[in-house]
Amino acid sequence: MKINQLVDRAKITISNREDEKKGENLGQKYLRRILVSGIVSLLLILVIVYTLPYTILSFSSLFEYSTIIALVIFLFILLVRYFAILIMAYLYLNEYTFSDTNGYAPFVSIIVPVFNEGKIIRKSILSLLNLDYQNYEIVVVNDGSTDDTKQVAESMVGFQDGKYGKIKISLINQPNLGKARALNAGIYFSKADFLLCMDGDSQLAPESIKVAVRHFIHPKIGAVAGNVKVLNRKRFFTDLQALEYIEGLNMARSAQSYIRLVNIIPGPIGIFRRKAIEQAGYYSSDTYAEDADLTLKILSKGWKIYYEPKSISYTEAPVTLQQLLKQRYRWTRGILQSLRKHKKLMFNPTVNLGHTFILWVMSYEALIWPTMNIAANAFFIFAALFFGFSHLIFFWWAGLAILDLVTALYCVAVEKEEFRLIWYAIIYRMFFILIIDICKTMSTIEEFLGIRMTWGKLERSSSPKSDTIAVNTN
Amino acid sequence: MELIPILSTIILVATICTFILAIGAYILYKVREGKPQHSYQTKPATVQGELVVPSEAIYTKDSTRVERTNIKNVEPGVTREEYTKQHQPSQSKHTPEPRGYKIEEEKVEKRKVRVRPQERFSDENKFLKYTSEGYIPTQEDRNSGEVKWR
Repeated sequence: MKINQLVDRAKITISNREDEKKGENLGQKYLRRILVSGIVSLLLILVIVYTLPYTILSFSSLFEYSTIIALVIFLFILLVRYFAILIMAYLYLNEYTFSDTNGYAPFVSIIVPVFNEGKIIRKSILSLLNLDYQNYEIVVVNDGSTDDTKQVAESMVGFQDGKYGKIKISLINQPNLGKARALNAGIYFSKADFLLCMDGDSQLAPESIKVAVRHFIHPKIGAVAGNVKVLNRKRFFTDLQALEYIEGLNMARSAQSYIRLVNIIPGPIGIFRRKAIEQAGYYSSDTYAEDADLTLKILSKGWKIYYEPKSISYTEAPVTLQQLLKQRYRWTRGILQSLRKHKKLMFNPTVNLGHTFILWVMSYEALIWPTMNIAANAFFIFAALFFGFSHLIFFWWAGLAILDLVTALYCVAVEKEEFRLIWYAIIYRMFFILIIDICKTMSTIEEFLGIRMTWGKLERSSSPKSDTIAVNTN
Repeated sequence: MELIPILSTIILVATICTFILAIGAYILYKVREGKPQHSYQTKPATVQGELVVPSEAIYTKDSTRVERTNIKNVEPGVTREEYTKQHQPSQSKHTPEPRGYKIEEEKVEKRKVRVRPQERFSDENKFLKYTSEGYIPTQEDRNSGEVKWR
């Protein structure tokens, strides 16, 4: 790579304005919410207390029956959800396998927002220069990094050697305004009709753009979600996350893609039609999940979103439990904030039925599912400790472990992933998902109470393990 | 000894430990993250940034790779169109004008003024007359003897 090429520098003024609700007293709002929900809960308890003597039930039997009914409902939903996802994913992959390929290759701008990614920004950009596509440019947006990101990125500005010719790399340096505004700055600067937005810590597989842009030949497709895979594997937590990305996230995305309603375009790779982003009003920084928010805004405008499994982005996953909790905390609260932004459409299916459906699915996944999982586990612990039914927890675990093993086997086979990941399915639900669900529930309570939060930044390892991608991408 | 009670006990203990671990880790995370919070609401309407792009004109000429710094103000925003507009004059310096146009211009100039440089400021050539043969000195025209229309 040639460095220190001739560059032009220009001072620019970046708009920092965004639609913000003025004059809103958040303290009062949250207090009102707590009071209303408290009064409603109290009324419900009073109704139960006063009506119970008129039934044949006692308090203890009410508790037992309601728990058993809740458990049966949970199990039913779990199975329906699992099989619905698997069947739809299968149908989608079947459809995908026989879909036509075309030579559609429009000009694409790759927007790379970076914040303190000095350790890995070079690798990320090098992966972009190796793309199997000829018509693209790279726009790096340095969001006020305090490390050497600016120097590293500046050294790469120029016309660098790509696979099919020179690739233009530009850089925008801005003060720290957040990822959403960094992406907006890049989108605003670019004049391409198609934009690939990614994370600074991600690396793209060579055919990522080529296989994704072909879907835009259909005018209704507003965006294409890519396939995110864990780069830094061979560690306990990262391997579990690798399985989660394959089994939990990508399989669900495949199922959603069957009805062209992918609900979250992942931050590490998303390809957008400029018109769709403009109609949606660009990224917003009023939520902590700007990718989920933009996806919902695009869906609300009537655009369809597709999932492309071969458009792969390798990303660094959190290595420690603390980092994992930090990430999931932000995801959960961000999704809840996005859902709250779109709550009007939840109760009005006449505007966009597909969008309303996807909002309800997201609400269920974010609010009800984690709570049900925790409640089920708590029930089995309670039953084992106080009533001696310890075998119940074994059968519960065995049933779920078999289900997870079969699903993991299918997903790993479909994605041509590492076979060794399948064995993590044994502890996946009882250990990993339980931790994640507890974090989700706590985050939900915090979001309900309106406790302030910040972004957080994962510590980058830049380990030698990250250099090699051990996954078969064919 | 049966296998199921042993496995049940292991799973029970593991699940309880996971509960404790998750809640403990979450509390620890909240304690560590309990730093002063900031929000975006107090930020100004516009902020200054810097745009670094490769010089396209120089790239096409394949010149030496020496970093050049042009500080230019682009007001307002960061659109590529505006940036390009601001850079038009500087790019034209590097881009040579079409060759044909220059030659044409020179020919017209020669036809217009058919005088040698040393003759330009003499009294004789101070006033010129345009004829079908081009510019001629007025003295020459007077001496031609032809009848002139007034």
